[in-house]
Amino acid sequence: MSVQTPAPQAVESSATSPTVRSVWRSGRGIALVGVLVVLAAVIGLLISPDRGPARPLDPGDASLSGSKALAELLRDRGVTVDRVDSVPAAAAKAATGDRVLLITDTAYHDEFALTRIPGDRVIVGDLVGLPVLAPGIRMEPDYARARSREPECGLPAATAAGSAYLGGPVMNGPGGATACYPAGDGHLLVRFPYGGGVTTVVADGGFMTNQRLAEDGNAALALNLIGTGKPVTWLVRPDEPPAVDLPGEEGRSMHDLMPGSIRWAVYMAIIALAVTAFWRGRRLGPVVAERLPVIVRAAETVEGRGRLYRARRARERAADALREGTVDRLVPRLGLASGAGRHEVVAALAARTGQDPQQLGALLYGPPPADDPGLVALAGHLDAIERQVIEP
Amino acid sequence: MALTGRAGLLAALGIAVVLFAPRPGAALAGVCLLLAAGVLVDLAFAGAVRPLRFHRSGETLVRLGQRATVELVVENPGGRRVRGLLRDAWPPSAGATPRTAEIDVPAGERRRIVVTLAPTRRGDRSSAAVTVRSVGPLGLAARQGSHQAPWTVRVLPPFLSRKHLPSRLARLRELDGRHPALVRGQGTEFDSLREYVVGDDVRSIDWRATARRNDVVVRTWRPERDRRVLIVLDTGRTSAGRVGEAPIPMAGAAPTGGGLPTGPDALPTPGWPRLDWSMDAALLLAALAARAGDRVDFLAHDRAVRAWVSGASRTELLSSLVSAMAPIEAELVEADAQAMVAAVLSRAKRRCLVVLLTDLNAAALDEGLMPVLPQLSSRHLVLVAGVSDPRVAAMAGRRGTAEEVYDAAAAEQAQLGRRRITARLRRHGVEVVDAPPDDIAPALADAYLALKAAGRL
Repeated sequence: MSVQTPAPQAVESSATSPTVRSVWRSGRGIALVGVLVVLAAVIGLLISPDRGPARPLDPGDASLSGSKALAELLRDRGVTVDRVDSVPAAAAKAATGDRVLLITDTAYHDEFALTRIPGDRVIVGDLVGLPVLAPGIRMEPDYARARSREPECGLPAATAAGSAYLGGPVMNGPGGATACYPAGDGHLLVRFPYGGGVTTVVADGGFMTNQRLAEDGNAALALNLIGTGKPVTWLVRPDEPPAVDLPGEEGRSMHDLMPGSIRWAVYMAIIALAVTAFWRGRRLGPVVAERLPVIVRAAETVEGRGRLYRARRARERAADALREGTVDRLVPRLGLASGAGRHEVVAALAARTGQDPQQLGALLYGPPPADDPGLVALAGHLDAIERQVIEP
Repeated sequence: MALTGRAGLLAALGIAVVLFAPRPGAALAGVCLLLAAGVLVDLAFAGAVRPLRFHRSGETLVRLGQRATVELVVENPGGRRVRGLLRDAWPPSAGATPRTAEIDVPAGERRRIVVTLAPTRRGDRSSAAVTVRSVGPLGLAARQGSHQAPWTVRVLPPFLSRKHLPSRLARLRELDGRHPALVRGQGTEFDSLREYVVGDDVRSIDWRATARRNDVVVRTWRPERDRRVLIVLDTGRTSAGRVGEAPIPMAGAAPTGGGLPTGPDALPTPGWPRLDWSMDAALLLAALAARAGDRVDFLAHDRAVRAWVSGASRTELLSSLVSAMAPIEAELVEADAQAMVAAVLSRAKRRCLVVLLTDLNAAALDEGLMPVLPQLSSRHLVLVAGVSDPRVAAMAGRRGTAEEVYDAAAAEQAQLGRRRITARLRRHGVEVVDAPPDDIAPALADAYLALKAAGRL
């Protein structure tokens, strides 16, 4: 006899939770790998050079968009290059003597204060306040793609340099201006006398960057434009742009109005949340998995077949099934053998019910109904015939 | 380790403290240190969970639909009181209550916890783990650990059809009692001699015995005994289909649609697998046949033998049968009829009644059983019993709308296939019982009694 009986029940219990030692033993490899990864990341960060965000056209920036190369070239030629990041600093430099003011960014500077600084100035790029800095400049609606261009003008600084990588907004100078590097309806470099000095406007500073300086006559053009012998005041974007704060009443921001303990209370709230999460999240024991039996109703195949009939409007098959079922039930009731032919069935049925054999033949063996109401009617007739035979 | 709600509350109070303290940074550090110190103290002074010992006792067998109690004794050999929560983790279908219990076991003592199981499914249910959360003296943190305290409860088939047993036993006695007064017939054997009473058939007078005594003596007869019945349960894919309405709510099936109002279009509850209805019928048949003096063997088969009970004595037959049936689940594979027939032929050397409980599915039987049936029916009397689906019958009867008529046509086709396969089986000399789930057990018992009365066993 091979009856399966329940396994003998053990009485002794054993602890299954991991001990500190077993956790350490199983997890030390993973911990070691984690420590190594963190260590590698920290060392990599430490030995990599400290590169701040790129500052375009900055004489102190060695990145691709900076202009440290140009500044070094100028210094090699004995030109003093002073980097300033504010208008007052530029004005202070200008007070020391005749200088060239190179303006690369005016986003945080007051252009009206800038116009009061005397001397030559070179304006690079389509800056905010350009009409104030260089009155008479007309900006055309065109925009020229940056590429290598020929000077095609009489300006010695440009013709000596030859082709240069230029692009940007197309402009035209006021009367008496020298314009070079034509593009579209205007030019990309305009030089004209203004306010006791010469103002040069270049549409784009790309040719001055470390990336482009070595190409074409870029370096020559930049040196010719800026390195005229005078010391250069190089105005850049401020190193620390002033924070934009929305001052409230009496000039106090919302930050000023908050008590200092709010920040600490938020930290405490985060800790409280973590403690509560740990309290609620800790499960009391393992999740018990169970192999569940499949739940499928036996009638699903029949229901599926019914829906297929319905979807395809399979009246012929449906009518056949209904008729066959009825005949199959009627044949023994009529006292016929199971292999009885259709004529015998119809004759026996007509004798039993007294109905027209022609009609009965059409009902049991006729053509399939043409539409759904016909099918419903057929089912009703079959039911009626069956009832008549079973309950005479 | 685990934290308690008290720790969360303390941290939340800390927010107010930090908000109104003159030096919030220091207050934050103070609150956190206080919390950490409290947690550490609790962890250090909570009763140890690891050395706890568990002992179990209680029931190991329960009928589906009834409740079993299992006792769990927690012994605390450590030096500190263990106070907190205990969870005895059972599978969901074991229906264990309570889910968690509060315990308070002083050092060196033991406490008893009673777990009540109300299983919703047949089979073996084992406790997965016992987890204890021992809270420290401050109630801020707790030590937590799990133990294995194995215990298995076997959930047996409910044998709901035993309510039909008394009436069938009465018919059996009728059968028994009718025969002594009647002529010898087919399927009878000599029982005893008794005095002639008026009305007895004169042909049953035993003249030799009459000559030895001064009285007229007649022979009496009784139905054959010690026949063999082999119940074969098909556990293949067709037995997984659910029919009827589950008498005991199954796990995973919402008994009343989860309390939601269910419309007329709502799907009916999936019911019970054919396998369980077949088991119910097999148990009634086995009980009846054992009382009638026949020997009952049991085989469960799909592609391999799942269970085999043989030679059980009359008294222990039912218990061995339910125990063998309990862990059987329908396998989602096509049953291998050839292997099944081979298993039957190798086990039943003498002629016996083979009761095959399967589904009368035309396609499955055509490919499986029909080709190998002659091997079986030539040596044994075969009875095939199938549970029909009342839902299909209901579909065949509903013919109000076009949609219903299409469904009715599909149902008609299914029933037609069933009737045809039944007819083909009968032509092979096989008895067929085809009944809805609620009637399959009494119908099978009646078929057995009819065969016995006809002496065909």
